Amino acid sequence: MSVFQKFFSKLTVENIKIELMRTAYGNEPTPLAKLDPRMLILWVLIYSIIPWLTHNQTILIGLTLFTAVLAYMSRVSPLLIFLLIVGVISQFTYLVFAAMFLGNSFTVLIAVIPVTMKVATVSLATMAVFTSMDPEKFSDALLKLGVPGKFSFGVSYGYRMLPILIEEYQNIIHSFRLRGKLPAKPGFLYSRYVFYYIKMCIMAFYPMMLNTAKRTRTTVEVLEVRGFSYTLENNIAKDIKLNYLKMTKYDYYFIGISTLITALIYIVGYQFPL
Amino acid sequence: MILFENVSFRYPGAEEWVLKDVSVEIKKHEFTAIIGGNGAGKSTFCKVINGLIPYYYVGDFEGKMSINGEDAAASNVASLSSKVAYVYQDFENQLVRPKVLDEVIFSPLNYGYKDYIERGKRALELLDLTHLADEYVWQLSGGQKHLVALAGALALTPEVLIIDEPVAQLDPAHAIQLYEKLKYLHSELGLTILVIEHHTEFIANYCKDVMLMEKGSVKWKKPVKEALNSVEELTEKHIHPPQVTMAAFHERPLSEQLPVTLEEAGRWFENYTIHEKGMPFTVSPEKQQSIVEFNGVHYGYKTLSRKIVPVIKDLQLQIKTGDRIALVGSNGAGKSTILKLISGLIKPLQGDVFYKGDSLKKVSPEKRAEKIAHIYQNPEEMFIEDEIRKDISFFLKVRNHPAQEEITNRIVQQFNLEVLKHRDGRLLSGGQQRRASLAIGLAMQPEVVLLDEPTASLDIATRKKMIAMLGELDSSVKAAVIATHDMQLVAEWATRVVVLNRGEVIADTTPQELFSNQFLLREASLVEPQIVSLCHELKIHPVELTIDGFLRRIKWEESASECFSKVL
Repeated sequence: MSVFQKFFSKLTVENIKIELMRTAYGNEPTPLAKLDPRMLILWVLIYSIIPWLTHNQTILIGLTLFTAVLAYMSRVSPLLIFLLIVGVISQFTYLVFAAMFLGNSFTVLIAVIPVTMKVATVSLATMAVFTSMDPEKFSDALLKLGVPGKFSFGVSYGYRMLPILIEEYQNIIHSFRLRGKLPAKPGFLYSRYVFYYIKMCIMAFYPMMLNTAKRTRTTVEVLEVRGFSYTLENNIAKDIKLNYLKMTKYDYYFIGISTLITALIYIVGYQFPL
Repeated sequence: MILFENVSFRYPGAEEWVLKDVSVEIKKHEFTAIIGGNGAGKSTFCKVINGLIPYYYVGDFEGKMSINGEDAAASNVASLSSKVAYVYQDFENQLVRPKVLDEVIFSPLNYGYKDYIERGKRALELLDLTHLADEYVWQLSGGQKHLVALAGALALTPEVLIIDEPVAQLDPAHAIQLYEKLKYLHSELGLTILVIEHHTEFIANYCKDVMLMEKGSVKWKKPVKEALNSVEELTEKHIHPPQVTMAAFHERPLSEQLPVTLEEAGRWFENYTIHEKGMPFTVSPEKQQSIVEFNGVHYGYKTLSRKIVPVIKDLQLQIKTGDRIALVGSNGAGKSTILKLISGLIKPLQGDVFYKGDSLKKVSPEKRAEKIAHIYQNPEEMFIEDEIRKDISFFLKVRNHPAQEEITNRIVQQFNLEVLKHRDGRLLSGGQQRRASLAIGLAMQPEVVLLDEPTASLDIATRKKMIAMLGELDSSVKAAVIATHDMQLVAEWATRVVVLNRGEVIADTTPQELFSNQFLLREASLVEPQIVSLCHELKIHPVELTIDGFLRRIKWEESASECFSKVL
């Protein structure tokens, strides 16, 4: 089996579901996972801004490396890394092609590198953070930071529904396959098959949305019965629930070390700009 | 405790009253079953008790409802529902949190109890769920999810517990387990329990009172024995009394006191003599041709930790022409997996499946569909078009079948879907959805049809119709395989039963033999139909699988003295 085929045999809805759920909930005791979720949110916000404020390539290389190390330490799912690489490469190539087509010069190649690194830094930082923080903590942190209760609950409920939605989607796609008809010939570069699958994936959305809409009727009633609206009006639960969120020494160490490393990268960058 | 005084309700803008002049009292510590056909107002009645009506669903509300003497008019959903817990029929949608512990502390937390964690843990302990506390909800089995929903409701220490059709989506073994828990909650914790229930056998065994609703009003409320003895009235309303009651009723309709439980029936039929019956007459099967064959098939799925959990182990199985196979076994035994392996939705990890001798390894589900129809457990997931007629013709249309119009029309008629054919499948009732899904399958003109739980969550009347419809499958297909928990379906329909336990076939036999073998039933955690239990009780061997069969085997022997006294 070629590498390509091997890869595609692994790219099933089932595997994607598992990887997504692992990213969301499969928490391992990594260094970042021990942090207060508010600190993580703050950190990722800072790190999605910093790279855009510089053109110095040494600094950008440093930042990319730093976030890559953090992503590695947080054990980001291989699927996400793969998607990132595909994303970065495809973006890089299309920018280069566009630039060559318009400007007809290879120098653009070098001009595109910084943008690519910036995107990579932000993506790596985001992946590291969201792998280390389950949706529950994220939602609690948002609530503590003053985001309305309905929204923060929506975040955690959305994640909770994800596996159900994927399963439903998978079953509907199966429904199409159990009655549909594959194109007789694969076509050039399997183009007919690809078209068939893409069409099916799009068509399956509509039944999924309708089925989901039907389910939520009970959920809405339940939220009422189980006191969710009551707690939104009275705010009593908020304090009890968020009691566990505390900034510890560990959080301050983390922000300290982070700042130090970033500062170092900047110093080196200004000393030895590429 | 709960007092309804002339309560009426209708949804805003509606003409019809959903509740009409309801006056009834539910006393403290009752265990009451609410019965009635579709649209009788059972759920509406229960939603008045926890205040969803009229505080959430605002409409025209008349009369007065009070709990413990407190008028509900001066209350609100929050304070009413902290006293009244509610478990929905579609309980999966009731679970809103990712982990089991989060789920059970959700309500106490929302109501601001400081000891919310202890409350949640206590509720888990009560139902023996403590070991699941850290599990993710979507990884639990159906039975476990139902118990978690119940625990979530109990965490508020309510006084009243309402459960809407608890066993509709559970397999029989789990259904009994659930009712045992309810019995415990009722007797030990003194909870008042209301269940909306179709299954009269459970009502007879566990409930104390029965309340019949019809067209929005309460017809009567009687003690359970008296209620289930109204055989004629109940059957007229499509509610079927327990099998033992039916058997006794057919035997002596004028009897004053019909049995409602197995125990009572044992005593009731005590004086009957039993006809011997030779070994069942077996037709030597015609030369059967093998259609589908499993050869050393293994299958497993991946978990979050990327480990593979085996589901099917080294399966050898042949499906032959003329077979009506029932796949039985508890949840997770691998029934649905076998169906998916045949239709090609999943592929074996090892081994191979053959169709008429040809390996299916490289055959896509689309290609297999030309011979094999797979009908899901959840019909909603089969509706991929916006009306049923289009769904039925989908298969034929993409294949440009020359006779697509005729076939579609014929199927629509055959399944009595003429009136419904332009409606969206999702908006039909449960029974209609099943019928439509069967029609979709048969419009593919398959040689083999695979059905996953075709009778699940149907009320008894619809279920009978479904079983009759399945009986006619033979005329159009070569073989049929049904994965099911419904032992009555097995008894009435199957010619061959394949019993699975943890991914292995532990028996391949006839229904007759399966139900005679109590050891096998226990090993696969199956629950036999009540009439079979009665045969065991009365030592009728070989057992009978239907009420009619049972009635043919017994005879009322009037003792000589009684005859004599009559003459005098």
